[in-house]
Amino acid sequence: MSDQYDLSKLRTRVKQQIEKAVPDAKIDYCLTCGLCASGCPASGIEDMDPRKFLRYLVLGQDDIILKTNWIYSCSLCQRCKYACPMGIDVGRIVYEVKGMRPKEDRPTNLQRSCDLQKKGNSTGIPDADFVWVVGDILEEVHELEPEWSDLQAPMDKIGAKFYLNQNAKEPTVEPEEMVPLWKILHTVGIDWTYSSKWWDGANYCLFPGDPEDWEYTVRKQAETVNDLGCTTYINTE
Amino acid sequence: MPKGSVLVVGGGIAGVQSALDLANSGFLVHLVEKTTAIGGKMSQLDKTFPTNDCSACILSPKLVECGRHFNINLLTLSDLVSLKGEPGSFTAVVRQRPRYIDPDKCIACGLCAEKCPKKVDDEYNLGISKRKAAFLSFPQAVPLKYAIDPDHCIWLKKPGKCGACVKVCPADAINFDDTEKEHILEVGSVVLALGFSPYDPSSLDFTGYGRLPNVVTAMEFERYLSPSGPCMGHMERPSDGKEPSRVAWLQCVGSRDINRSCHPYCSSVCCMFAIKQTVIAKEHAHGDFSSSIFFMDMRTHGKGFEDYYNRARKEGVNFHRARVHSVLQGKEEGDLRLRYVNEQGEICFEEFDMVVLSTGLEVNKQTVELAKMLELELDDDNFVKTDVFHPVSTSRPGIFVCGAAAEPKDIPQSVMEASAAAMEAGRILAPARWQETTVKDYPLERDVHAEAPRIGVFVCHCGTNISSVVDVDSVMEYAKTLPDVVFAQTNLFTCSQDTINQMVNIIKEQGLNRVVVASCSPRTHEPLFQETLRDAGLNKFLFEMANIRDQDSWVHRDEPEAATIKAKDLMRMAVARVRGENALPYNTVKVVKSALVIGGGIGGMTAALSFAGQDFPVTLIEQTDRLGGNANKLYRTWQADEVQPYLAETIKKINAHPQIDVRMNCQVSDVGGSVGHFTTQFSDGHSLIHGVAVMAVGGEAYKPEGEWNYLYGKNPNVHTLLEVDQMLIDGQTDFKQTGQAVFIHCVGSRIPERPWCSRVCCTHAIDSAVKLKDLNPEMDIFMLYRDIRTYGRRERIYQEARAKGIIFVRYDLDHLPSVNEANGKIIIQTHDPIVDSDITLHPDLLVLATAIQPRQESGNLSKFFKCAIDAHGFLLEAHMKLRPVDFATDGVYLAGLCHYPKPMEETIAQAKAAAARATIVLSQDEVPAESITAQVFDAKCTGCGVCVTICAYSAISMDEDKNVAMVNTDLCKGCGACVAGCRSDAMTLMNVGNEQLMAAVEAAFI
Repeated sequence: MSDQYDLSKLRTRVKQQIEKAVPDAKIDYCLTCGLCASGCPASGIEDMDPRKFLRYLVLGQDDIILKTNWIYSCSLCQRCKYACPMGIDVGRIVYEVKGMRPKEDRPTNLQRSCDLQKKGNSTGIPDADFVWVVGDILEEVHELEPEWSDLQAPMDKIGAKFYLNQNAKEPTVEPEEMVPLWKILHTVGIDWTYSSKWWDGANYCLFPGDPEDWEYTVRKQAETVNDLGCTTYINTE
Repeated sequence: MPKGSVLVVGGGIAGVQSALDLANSGFLVHLVEKTTAIGGKMSQLDKTFPTNDCSACILSPKLVECGRHFNINLLTLSDLVSLKGEPGSFTAVVRQRPRYIDPDKCIACGLCAEKCPKKVDDEYNLGISKRKAAFLSFPQAVPLKYAIDPDHCIWLKKPGKCGACVKVCPADAINFDDTEKEHILEVGSVVLALGFSPYDPSSLDFTGYGRLPNVVTAMEFERYLSPSGPCMGHMERPSDGKEPSRVAWLQCVGSRDINRSCHPYCSSVCCMFAIKQTVIAKEHAHGDFSSSIFFMDMRTHGKGFEDYYNRARKEGVNFHRARVHSVLQGKEEGDLRLRYVNEQGEICFEEFDMVVLSTGLEVNKQTVELAKMLELELDDDNFVKTDVFHPVSTSRPGIFVCGAAAEPKDIPQSVMEASAAAMEAGRILAPARWQETTVKDYPLERDVHAEAPRIGVFVCHCGTNISSVVDVDSVMEYAKTLPDVVFAQTNLFTCSQDTINQMVNIIKEQGLNRVVVASCSPRTHEPLFQETLRDAGLNKFLFEMANIRDQDSWVHRDEPEAATIKAKDLMRMAVARVRGENALPYNTVKVVKSALVIGGGIGGMTAALSFAGQDFPVTLIEQTDRLGGNANKLYRTWQADEVQPYLAETIKKINAHPQIDVRMNCQVSDVGGSVGHFTTQFSDGHSLIHGVAVMAVGGEAYKPEGEWNYLYGKNPNVHTLLEVDQMLIDGQTDFKQTGQAVFIHCVGSRIPERPWCSRVCCTHAIDSAVKLKDLNPEMDIFMLYRDIRTYGRRERIYQEARAKGIIFVRYDLDHLPSVNEANGKIIIQTHDPIVDSDITLHPDLLVLATAIQPRQESGNLSKFFKCAIDAHGFLLEAHMKLRPVDFATDGVYLAGLCHYPKPMEETIAQAKAAAARATIVLSQDEVPAESITAQVFDAKCTGCGVCVTICAYSAISMDEDKNVAMVNTDLCKGCGACVAGCRSDAMTLMNVGNEQLMAAVEAAFI
């Protein structure tokens, strides 16, 4: 049994709101050809796909748009934008819709991770713990693997060429997973450093859809990089 | 006085058509072609839609005519490098690259190519096979002369190194010292027929093209199917030569895409191209064959196309409404796996043996360069810019354009425009007609009446086409043993220029009075050999051909001995037949140099002005009391030009022109005569003698009824597109009170009762919607459509409409929109397939895009002129592909909606084309009439009159005094119906009588 939509007066408030924020969203350009949906890893989840999503926007079915949790399956990978004959970036549009969701209605884990990241890192461990874990693991490597006795994991090294951030999950639950990357960097002879603040590279605030939050966490990292005088930022996420 | 010659640039079908029309109407034509031979893209096609004709077979006679034309100067390997001057007097510089093989000496034997050691990619086969550095691009090439490719020839790169061709050439034709030549040509006007390039899909990674060998372009697939292609007509896939049994076509590759290919337009031809390929591929397949077409909107908007589409669906072609996301390596080696989403949104995978990319059309790089040199404006898509009211005029006076260089289009449309461009190019030079042409003089014909038959037989090797199967020497020796055969010889190519010259001498020296050529098809070569007889002072009807190639060596390749016996049989029959043939008169009709145009709409008026502009008197008749026809009801064109001012201006020109006689409230009541001299009676009692006629009787809007009524005529807010146009013309309505408008497409079109697409309504409806949106941006507009068919550059207006927020909702015949009313308010229920939901609309305005249908009158009129109508009631042209404005009846032409629904620019082009074709007749003092006519033996005739009633041409009447039938040879078409119908054996066709036929039959059974 299909749904019934009465379009006596077409109201496309969400679409208009998106178009205000993203003037080149080109939602109306959609040809409904299905290329976005056929390439999207999230197609079919929550009975939604990018084509349907755009169609609901065009038909002003804002309730569906604002209610679907499909938006949280979108990782903004932009496969849709690449395939679309009109070049529509559905991910960019989804991002706007994510931001329209009241914070309390968002997936709890996602919002909490962002909130925590705004305070330092997304797991909420104290920065000192991160510094300690890095040191501890490095020591362990030196002890157990003599061939890596000169391996380093620099922290707050002023003037290092590369700044490296770190997914917060690893120092928290599987710290030895950090080591392979250290070894690679060491082997190729790269001058790098962690920082003891704003070291989390998880970028969680990209996903709840609040640009201010995302900008805040990105800026904090950027400031740290600048303070350290690094010329290149390596994002491990 | 302007110059009497025209420069035509481009030797594809459009350029060839333009050149022939101009040369046949009294102008000298310089035809400039950049490659070694004329024929263009059409020569590369296997079959053509919708008739499934063999492309080369229908093209070849035009190429041959072009190559042999006395007033066409064919310049191959040539480029236009500069053009100075103004309309009427241009100076063109054409640079001709060296051919390195002397065309006057080359006999096209092919030995140079056979021995040439250098193999290179064959561009004619799109690089999927190899050719030699010495080459002929294709077997039917015109000129049929080899060339040496300087980029690859070993000798030309390092003189002294190879020279194999020089050693083997029996004609001493190789000339390594050949140099570039510059031709300075004085011409009065220029026609550009620059063609297109197929879109190169290499940059579209998702297609796998270039990476997965079994992904090919449509043009490549055409070569795989073609008998002259690399697989000799056997369908094989590239990776392993396996015959594919599951093939997929991907539409819109390089079209309707502003993201990856930057071509916002629709390429117009690919939907039909793909359907045709499914049909032809199935014919080639030996076992099970399944084909799938992945498309977005099916665009079968031309004449006969929708029927073709319906037939393909019935025959099991799978049509998937989806653009394919990616082509991946399949499970089995060489197979391909497609990823796409169905209309329900489910991701699907399907395996195929082969994938064909329906690649779009784009502008040639050279077109852009040439346009820059000529200072021509291009449009946003780099096509040569024209406008709706002047569809073949460029921005520079005196330079005209036709074919795909101005917009992607199919062959019939290109041919129409080619003739239209010829009309325009010739119109400005009309005073100089026949000033620069030369007329061929034939020697006086020998009277052979009293001579005993002296038959000469020429047996052709046709290179290896015949001689590799048939023992031509034994056929020739056998010929010498037949009674009355006094001479026989074999030739490598009987049609080559040197052999033709030799044949003239032999006829004279040997005193031959009958000639037989045993070679190929009379369809392509009979006129050439007949002309050779005339050159030798023999009547051209003392000639017969035996087709020992198409009907023998080609079809009996595996049985050479039997084929040789059959060749002897065919030749012996031809000899028996020619023996009893007589010289026939070259009948002619004196041309009355005036035209009748029937129909006072845009098409008729355009045709009338085209004639009058060349100083031919025209009578234009209109059945109503108002000129303009349907154009009176149109607001604007899709390019937003208002129609009414143009119409008013056109009517003014018509009324002011001294050569145009307009008769209003006038219809045709009877027609007699034939090409060159018609006598037509009008309903107002007048009659007219005229040389040619153009039918431009228009079409009419379907009035919505029954299932398609949608409250039309019942609710005041339901209107047709034309009624909305009227509101826009009147300008009294501002549409500010219209909150919601709905347009329903295909009202009465593409349904069993009217199975054609009305072609213009998608564009018209969308343009009207855009106009409404401009007048009232607050208005919500919904378009309920089946397929959007904004073909060519009209796709831009579809995009513009979407960009403005106009919403398109697809419906199909199983889910028609339902339209009801409650308290005077319209309620529409429809279904959106994308979100699978029912939608309710409450429009203040409902607009119906109704079908265009033929007028009843056109059927009656066609009978007067003995012209055909098609199954739907539209007038039927002589050939859908290559003779789109001619009727099978000579001297009668057609234009506009009576032919098929079409927008104004196409009606104007077609009307100009009709005038161009008719001008060929009007520019002659006399036209050939049939020589093979019926003859009455008075002694046998019983005067029963059956033949009088049978004759479709009113050529037979009764001689009341003698009570016998009489044939008017001016009218007789030689069809033979009277001969078959005569109960007393009193009728015969000259040279095709019992005497000749029975002689051939008897010879067959010796």
